[in-house]
Amino acid sequence: MEEFQPHNDEMIFNAEEAHNIVKECIESILGKADYSHDKVNQWTATIVEQSLTHLVKLGKTYKYIVTCAVMQKSGAGLHTASSCFWDTTTDGTCTVRWENRTMNCIVNVFAVAIIL
Amino acid sequence: MGELGLESAAENTYSLRPAGQRKFRSSAVKECIHAILKEELANVQYNPEETPQLTKQLSETIKDRLKEKGFDRYKMVVQVVIGEQRGEGVNMAARCFWDADTDSYAHDVFMNDSLFCVVAAFGCFYY
Repeated sequence: MEEFQPHNDEMIFNAEEAHNIVKECIESILGKADYSHDKVNQWTATIVEQSLTHLVKLGKTYKYIVTCAVMQKSGAGLHTASSCFWDTTTDGTCTVRWENRTMNCIVNVFAVAIIL
Repeated sequence: MGELGLESAAENTYSLRPAGQRKFRSSAVKECIHAILKEELANVQYNPEETPQLTKQLSETIKDRLKEKGFDRYKMVVQVVIGEQRGEGVNMAARCFWDADTDSYAHDVFMNDSLFCVVAAFGCFYY
């Protein structure tokens, strides 16, 4: 029976890998664009979808939750906090902050392990 | 082996799915979040020094309240975003890769004159 179980003691969420994946996605979608009220809906949806697809392609037995907030730069303050009830040895989170001249973007990735 | 004369078949007791009532119900969680937000943010003004602390504290409070609700075998993630109301545009999106049968999320938005607050709570079943 042992052969079929993944090595639970070595399953750790690789935050750096996720960080790189998400950063690339944001760059490719928002890159040099300026904030546009009409397009922002489409941007946030595409960012989360692409990030999720790339994370799933890693092939690890994780459930993923990806959230993205895009904000126009107007000098206003924004604060995010998250609280998680999970297994700290196997589950993890990663936050990517990105900005350009006209907008700020924050992407959060939460990964919850599936122990079979 | 057959001496006792009692033969009871062992039934599988490990459940792979949450029972009906124990499921992460979106509506119940949303109500819970809504009540907490009304209670905590009713007369609060946006303040750049205090708001970071408030955001963290709010996420802990909501997580603890949800734990009390009795969603056993659920791993939970609560995300709170508080921003100043200055008329700027904000857009938030989330996508999840999970088991749609057992996992779910709930969200709520609270606004007053000086701030807006978005809370998203996600629940993943632990098999």
